[in-house]
Amino acid sequence: MELPNAYEDLSSEMEVDAFRRLFPLRYFERHLTESIRPDARPLRKARDTTIALGAVASADGSALAKIGSTTMLAAIKMEVMTPSLESPDEGCIAIDFHMPPICSPNVRPGRPAEAAPVLSKQLSDTITSSSMINLKELSLVSGKAAWIAYLDIYCLDADGALFDAALLSAAAAFSHLQIPVVSLDSDGKIVIMSEEQKEKISETKPDNKEKRKLTLSTIPFSLTCILYKSYILADPTAEEESIMETLVTVVLDSSGQLVSLYKPGGSVLIYTSAVQVNLLFPPYIVMALEICRDLYHSCRCCFVIFDINIHA
Amino acid sequence: MATKPGTTSTTYSPIDPTHKTKPSIFTDSDWVRPDSRGFHQCRPAFFRTGAVNSASGSAYAEFGNTKVIVSVFGPRESKKAMMYSDIGRLNCNISYTTFATPVRGQGSDNKEFSSMLHKALEGAIILESFPKTTVDVFALVLESGGSDLPVVISCASLALADAGIMMYDLVTSVSVSYLGKNLLIDPILEEESCQDGSLMIACMPSRYEVTQLTVTGELSAPNLSEAMQLCLDACAKLAQIMRSCLKEAASAAEE
Repeated sequence: MELPNAYEDLSSEMEVDAFRRLFPLRYFERHLTESIRPDARPLRKARDTTIALGAVASADGSALAKIGSTTMLAAIKMEVMTPSLESPDEGCIAIDFHMPPICSPNVRPGRPAEAAPVLSKQLSDTITSSSMINLKELSLVSGKAAWIAYLDIYCLDADGALFDAALLSAAAAFSHLQIPVVSLDSDGKIVIMSEEQKEKISETKPDNKEKRKLTLSTIPFSLTCILYKSYILADPTAEEESIMETLVTVVLDSSGQLVSLYKPGGSVLIYTSAVQVNLLFPPYIVMALEICRDLYHSCRCCFVIFDINIHA
Repeated sequence: MATKPGTTSTTYSPIDPTHKTKPSIFTDSDWVRPDSRGFHQCRPAFFRTGAVNSASGSAYAEFGNTKVIVSVFGPRESKKAMMYSDIGRLNCNISYTTFATPVRGQGSDNKEFSSMLHKALEGAIILESFPKTTVDVFALVLESGGSDLPVVISCASLALADAGIMMYDLVTSVSVSYLGKNLLIDPILEEESCQDGSLMIACMPSRYEVTQLTVTGELSAPNLSEAMQLCLDACAKLAQIMRSCLKEAASAAEE
């Protein structure tokens, strides 16, 4: 005897919210067959993205990035360190990603979220391997002193695509970073240069008076997609991420080069090995890349707008 | 190369040698506050509810450079280890970001503030309305610009209201620093660092009830009552601002 299909029977009489909670996958599948998502987005559309620079006054560079309701606050504090013997004229970047208990009901104080150290490492790898920042620009006195940029990213609201938002805020914070003007004092310590010193120096070297900005050679930019059956869902929300587990994150840089590609687990792995991966990427990842490129253009507009604001 | 945060002890932030000494102007009679406010004048307060979508209720508060976010979760299931209780539980936590303070910190939890926040809110919440469950109040200080705890307390009560947790009244909190003979309301970080003592009140303005009163340092009786009255007046004004923020949010939701 055949068992009655539980959700088929119930869906007609159940309230939408109850159906969504009890049979989340079924609920999503119903939407997917209509090529729409529960938040009224088409499958391949990302949420609205905004960036605000200079959100934290106590930091040397900061930015607030929002993708939908996912919110990231990144701030950079510059400190002085002694460079390592292997690279005496290079500074360094220390990246940390935090998920404070305010950001999600699943994070409790004293028990850090599992995702935080993973994302921290991913961000750190991406930013160092994308060659966005020339570490030589962070050097102060060769072999003696160099800048260490402490980049701390806080997730203020977690609603999916955390990596994308975090990377966006990190890149924006670096674009906003202003390196303080410093000098070497008699004890060999680096101190902030006083106004009188600045004036003295400006007579001889006028370009050393103002705070310095880093030159960002490329800006890495990422997009996370959900792969579910034959569907690709760009920029997933937390609810979508929790229901459909196969995620792919593609990171591109400003010239459209691939920086990295993450696919942490998920069921599609079997499928990819089955099709032998004779192309470099399976077709759906190529499609994800294309969506990513489109998005990148809209995002670069954001950066351009802010650059104008800064110089004006 | 990225370095692990464990190696922080070997790095330092460059200091400005001209700002080392404590300014002596604090003792002068015609001294003005660093942000040119009057002694009995608070910083402009900004509140906004609904800052965090994934929380049951949340609020953002900005007083000058002091910026905090408070999220409220629940009422939800208490921890398994908890004993049965026929009234609800309140769980509070305050943490700082690493860039909150002028010198980079470790972003640690602030146990003392957490328990003070708990004590300030406890009396205002109708715990009987959510038996067996817990309401979590989590605060993150994005930027510390002085008077952090009073701002967090006010912001937390707004977040509780946003989450629809039953309360007798909104809790508002204001602190006063005393520097010599002067009473400075709503002190900034610089003023707090050289204060002789401070007084903080958390109260329910409509009921004219105080939920928490903290006094540190030496204060004469007439000064004490003056400081308290100053705080209570400021609390009442703060409550009006918070109430209008809630009304705005409610009318925006209706549309």
